[in-house]
Amino acid sequence: MRAYILRRLAQSVLVVWAVTSIMFFMFRVMPADPTAMLLERGLTEEARQALLQEWGLTGTLWDQYVAYLGNILTGDFGSSFLYRKPVWEVLTPLIINTLWIAVPGLLLGAALGAVIGTAVGWAERGGKLERSGIFLATVIRGVPNFVIGIALLTIFSSTLSWFPGFGMGDPGATTGFARYMTLDFLHHLALPLIAVIIYFMPENLLLMRSGVVENRTEDYIELIRAKGVPQRRVAWHAARNSMLPLITWLFPALAETIAGIVVIEIVFSWPGVGRELVLAVTRQDYPVAQAAFFLLAVMIVLANLAADLVYGKLDPRVVYK
Amino acid sequence: MAASTPPRAGTRPASAATLAQLAELNQRLAWKPAARLQVEGLSIGYSTLRGRFHAVEDISFEVPAGTNLGLVGESGCGKSTVIKALMGLQPANTSVSGRALLDGQDILGLDDRGLRDIRWNSISLITQSAMNSLDPVYTIGDQIAEAIRAHERVSRATAWARAEEMFALVGLPAGRLYEFPHMFSGGMRQRAVIAMALALNAGMLLADEPTTALDPIMQSQIMTRIRGIHAHMRRSMILVTHDIAVVAETCENTVVMYAGKMAESGPTADVLERPLHPYTMGLQNAFPRLPVPGAPRQPLISIPGVVPNLLLPPPGCRFASRCPFATDLCRTTAPPVVRHGAQVATCHHTDRSEEFRAAAARPETWRNMRGAA
Repeated sequence: MRAYILRRLAQSVLVVWAVTSIMFFMFRVMPADPTAMLLERGLTEEARQALLQEWGLTGTLWDQYVAYLGNILTGDFGSSFLYRKPVWEVLTPLIINTLWIAVPGLLLGAALGAVIGTAVGWAERGGKLERSGIFLATVIRGVPNFVIGIALLTIFSSTLSWFPGFGMGDPGATTGFARYMTLDFLHHLALPLIAVIIYFMPENLLLMRSGVVENRTEDYIELIRAKGVPQRRVAWHAARNSMLPLITWLFPALAETIAGIVVIEIVFSWPGVGRELVLAVTRQDYPVAQAAFFLLAVMIVLANLAADLVYGKLDPRVVYK
Repeated sequence: MAASTPPRAGTRPASAATLAQLAELNQRLAWKPAARLQVEGLSIGYSTLRGRFHAVEDISFEVPAGTNLGLVGESGCGKSTVIKALMGLQPANTSVSGRALLDGQDILGLDDRGLRDIRWNSISLITQSAMNSLDPVYTIGDQIAEAIRAHERVSRATAWARAEEMFALVGLPAGRLYEFPHMFSGGMRQRAVIAMALALNAGMLLADEPTTALDPIMQSQIMTRIRGIHAHMRRSMILVTHDIAVVAETCENTVVMYAGKMAESGPTADVLERPLHPYTMGLQNAFPRLPVPGAPRQPLISIPGVVPNLLLPPPGCRFASRCPFATDLCRTTAPPVVRHGAQVATCHHTDRSEEFRAAAARPETWRNMRGAA
């Protein structure tokens, strides 16, 4: 077990290294010059060279790459070209903002999807609940998530004015950690959070349903029913066994969905790390973009590892070697 | 994962309270009498896209309290369908008619609540394919305890203690209760399923081909085990099988089914020694018998043909197309139910059964018939 985890961690390090390297060269290949943005404001050639020096953009590509890897090993992603602040100082509050919609959104989406999926899968085949459940889930899954966001904004913000449609708090609200504890923050949180839930739930629901449908006709379910245990308990056995394929899908999908949250952050102007990532790419702010991509890569790798470990917990037949 | 959490080798030490509760539970369960089952005119049909499928038609039999009944017939003749209907496990689009009186209570039209009450309490099941009939993600002990706790208000520890006793009864070490189904061999799984079926000492046991999936040595071990338990606990049992030898050894009474209908029924000794129905005669020929020294070896004879399509059952006797003795009457008119002493057969020509029996023992009777058909 320990050997297995160590080996998987070593593999993960390799994957992260590959991703960071590809990223490094991709940004260098991009035609634009990061100083162009500042040049327009009348930067002299001397000043430009000084900037390039400061940012570590002089020397051969190889020298830059070695310095870059060395810095990453010490956790130093450099300073943002735009904000003139260390990258982590820029990203940390944004990461926290993103976690506020991502963690509850994904947890609730997965949990609701699993529960409703079980109900739909256990319902009478061809009945009302099954047909409407599958129909709704398929439609929502087919709709791009920015459309879900815009629909929520149109209905609950513009038309009904129940929720604010922009940002994280009204101007002049408290700052720092205290701002997360205000009703105003929760009020702003509601719509983007709902958008994440709606975005993530349908696939969970459909996967869980097909698992339950498959399991409900298995011999072992018949024997559990024959034992005279209540219907709900029988359905639980089917759901418990359906969790296995769901988990294999869920963790990698979590990481993927975090990337999808970028769009929701942009639609709701939520100051999260995803929105910053898009902005950083358009602004040629390499250090910020690189750090953000690095984070995503680490998350996806860890999610896959977590999936394997959780699967082993849920399925007694899995043995790690 | 298995490496980090090895199954515990021993049993859980039981507290005094658990032991007291277990003694009380055992006493309550031991008091349960064997059940009597009377099935009258049981018919089961499925509605399919191509019409009604008559899986079982007009079956009647009785299992007196404390006896075994063998339900035999080839695959697809409706044996398991009868067992499922008795447990209320038929699929949703099934119509069931007739009556099945378990100690006087009709168990066919029961609602969910009523079914839950009788299941495992009064009528329990040893399933056909023990390979797949255990939940792969729960320990065997959990699954036995679940059955006990669905009906008896006892603690988890007490239910496990009872499960340990059931394991001892079927010859499995108690420590293996903590293991998962995939860690068991086929024979052990079958024994675990038997232990589960005995957990609440139900008055009526339905054993649906309990040994079909096992090798011959394991089959005989399991059957010996079942017979031993039966003698010890004095339960009633319906044993579904296509092995006539097992029925001969185990069951007081026998019902022979063919294509969803009852071909013959009666005391096992009568049915096997003096079969009235040609199908029973054919079935007997199809099973190997140990050669008697000196006597000529009995050849194995299979019954030619296949079971008729039950979506469009033939108008006369359902066995007519495969029967070497069939007459025009057999092909046009459904046979009557004829009683000969304790024995009952659904055949037009039971009065010629002696002549048939002599002919049926000869392989050419069945071979010639194939040419005629």
